[in-house]
Amino acid sequence: MKALFDFMDKNIAPLFEKGGKFERLYPLWEAGDTFNRTPADVTPSAPHVRDSIDQKRLMIFVIYALIPCILFGIWNAGNQFNLANGIESTFGADMARGALMVLPIIFVSYAVGGLWEVLFAVIRRHEINEGFLVTGMLFPLTLAPTIPLWQVAIGISFGIVIGKEIFGGVGYNILNPALTARAFLFFAYPAQISGDKVWVGSLAESPSIVNSILGHSGEYVDGVTQATPLAVAAAAKGSGMAAVDALNHAGYTLQNMTVGNIPGSIGSTSVIAILIGMGFLMLTGIASWRVMVSGIIGCAMMGLLFNALPLDNEFASLPWFYHLVMGGFLFGIVFMATDPVSASATNVGKFIYGFLIGALTVLIRVANPAYPEGAMLAILFMNVMAPLVDHFVVQGHIKKRTAYARALNNA
Amino acid sequence: MAIGFCAFQQQGAIFRTRNPRSENSVANFKIKKGFDVKVVGKPSTNVEEYASQQLFTVYPSEFEGLKVRLKVKAGETVKRGDVLFENKKNEKMVFRSPCAGTVKAINLGARRFPVEIQIEKDAQSQDNVTFETYTRDSVGQLSREQVADHLLNTGVWPLIKQRPFNKIADPDAAPKAVFINACNSAPYQADFSLILKGDEEAFQTGINALAKLTEGKVHLCKSAGSDIPDFKNAESHTFSGKHPSGNTSVHINRISPILPHDTVYTITAQNVILIGKTLLTGELPKTKIIALAGPAVKEEFRKYYKVEIGGSLESLLSKAIQGDDVRLINGNVLWGSQIKADACVPYYGSEIFALEEDRSRHLLGWTTPGLFQYSAHRVNISSFFGFSHDWKLGTNLHGSHRAMVVTGWMDKFQPLNIMTDFLIRAALAHDTDEMIQLGILETDPEDFALASFVDPHKTDVCGIIKRGLEEIEEEGI
Repeated sequence: MKALFDFMDKNIAPLFEKGGKFERLYPLWEAGDTFNRTPADVTPSAPHVRDSIDQKRLMIFVIYALIPCILFGIWNAGNQFNLANGIESTFGADMARGALMVLPIIFVSYAVGGLWEVLFAVIRRHEINEGFLVTGMLFPLTLAPTIPLWQVAIGISFGIVIGKEIFGGVGYNILNPALTARAFLFFAYPAQISGDKVWVGSLAESPSIVNSILGHSGEYVDGVTQATPLAVAAAAKGSGMAAVDALNHAGYTLQNMTVGNIPGSIGSTSVIAILIGMGFLMLTGIASWRVMVSGIIGCAMMGLLFNALPLDNEFASLPWFYHLVMGGFLFGIVFMATDPVSASATNVGKFIYGFLIGALTVLIRVANPAYPEGAMLAILFMNVMAPLVDHFVVQGHIKKRTAYARALNNA
Repeated sequence: MAIGFCAFQQQGAIFRTRNPRSENSVANFKIKKGFDVKVVGKPSTNVEEYASQQLFTVYPSEFEGLKVRLKVKAGETVKRGDVLFENKKNEKMVFRSPCAGTVKAINLGARRFPVEIQIEKDAQSQDNVTFETYTRDSVGQLSREQVADHLLNTGVWPLIKQRPFNKIADPDAAPKAVFINACNSAPYQADFSLILKGDEEAFQTGINALAKLTEGKVHLCKSAGSDIPDFKNAESHTFSGKHPSGNTSVHINRISPILPHDTVYTITAQNVILIGKTLLTGELPKTKIIALAGPAVKEEFRKYYKVEIGGSLESLLSKAIQGDDVRLINGNVLWGSQIKADACVPYYGSEIFALEEDRSRHLLGWTTPGLFQYSAHRVNISSFFGFSHDWKLGTNLHGSHRAMVVTGWMDKFQPLNIMTDFLIRAALAHDTDEMIQLGILETDPEDFALASFVDPHKTDVCGIIKRGLEEIEEEGI
């Protein structure tokens, strides 16, 4: 191995460095080189020693936190598909089908998003940012497993280019790029992302090559229709049927919504998998516990408030804890809202920011007739508001500082 | 919510000010935020005499922002105590030769700034410029102007610095207080209780002189647990807690924060002894004590040395340093400037730290559990149980530079109640008003060394703050 690295350092690296043949492609070389081995840079000035943490490590640990969601999402996509299409559901068969549904989405997301990232890095002559690793994984997990791959490509392109790169890249963007990408798909192609029948998929619509790999050929059942819990609860609004009853009627109990073996976005159906990720993020201190905890409190309190109000809205009477386990709220508050670039940066601001995301999510679910999933819009709205929240916190801090200094000087 | 939270903290702050602090009383301050960087290389408590070789050097570059007017030329013979150069902006402020001999070379840097003035010491010559002598008590009879003029004339005045901007004290400014720093919280700052032994008289004389310079108080700030006694004319305070509990900015913040248009003088405790000796003996002090520490110093050489001020350290360092690629630092590992292997004893500073230039590369280092990597973050497993022993650290950056993300993490290690991320942003945006409002005047770049240390984006926080302070100084407050 050492001989190989020595060879690369001696013969290949100079091609990409200043004056080399492929100087313009330096970001690509640098990314690959530092992927293999940590860089050899030393501190330019004081402090002369540095902590061994870096951006790469931070980002890969977010991916680690997502692993339970990814694995469960793959199994669940396959399981839902097999059950709905009358195929015998075994763990192996579910994973195989799920992998063939989900992995192409992840692959396209990384390939197309990576292309943009590299392109901008080369043009701007700066290093490739690892933040893309997280964006490229979060985005597929918020999609339906049946999403057409061309939409994945367009969505991630929009998210990376408009959501991030035109602002200057990671650290400068104001919106979470993965959510921007999803919001774009939601507004541009609503049929494929918010329709009732998209979440499970059918053999007839599945690519024939996938079907033949798995040995599923011959007779196809017709399109499968199954709404998500949020759609079911939203539909109960005008029907006079209590939301909980409607959910139970459609087969959605608190238990299976917690476990997550229901139709929904790839990564966000299982509360248990998300909580494992949340525990990992809190343990490692990567994501802000303030945002996560206050978000959950905000969601619960808004749910309780609606329960207490005498409204003619069945969704409003949905028990508050249902809001926590339904839809993409928990996934959003744990993995999307905690994005440090677009979230509030002050500690007090993080509490306010998280709380309002939780509260707005429930408000949108109850009040918005068109689309019951409020988490995405609530997070994007609070992304925009985060600098304002921080502004007031900083102003408060300045007053406090001045008062402290004056008090001590007069003591 | 935000306002309520702030009001709560503010009450706490006001409560702290109600500590009864009469003359010579001891107030204890516990600093909760911070981080102790555990690095091997602790010096033993032995003090060894070290006689320098023939070469002495004065570094005008140590005095940042100084406009230098040279008073000697290469080849000239000088006495010990002859003026080598003066401050162009204040001709009373002179800098004198640490030894008698011949000016060997004046090495110029950018814009013909004299970076080094090298003097070949004449071992036989006893030529010495002498000044008036005082006793411990007679210093107290002098006026402020007399003390200031004497310290300026003897060339020890630049040992006193002033905040804001941490520059050589302005003799005409009336400081509201003087802060003497006798703490050692950074690894391995020289322990002042060792340096003090036998020089109590000089230290008291120095304090008496400093007390004449201010209408306010002289504050002596000590580390908790050190056996430094109390001194007359100085109010003692002890600071406990992790680094940066020993930083002067923390002391000022807790005792008497700087408001706009305030000035305070600051000085390290060893330099007070040098001032005291000058007053007592009537000649420039010959020696001071430095600590030699760090992982790249051979174990038997990790101790304190009584060295000649300005004298060459080359023979000592050539014996003491192990390893081929070593970085030598004038100061501690968190805050200090690089020096060369043939360096001479600097004007400021009481310690020299040596550590290896670590250019090692680790296979797939970004994804390992981090058992053997030193880190304050819980992303490395080592941070859960790795701090019971010292670590052999090097200068590796552990990553490469990325755009800064405002995370608020840096404030976990910042006891100054400064919103570090927002302060950096204001500095990057050249927003001097906001920088001042956020408290940059209370700080020195050294207060941001820990912020730089823990930053995953490898931002040069100290450099950004330094440039911010320079901008404010240029524009005026």
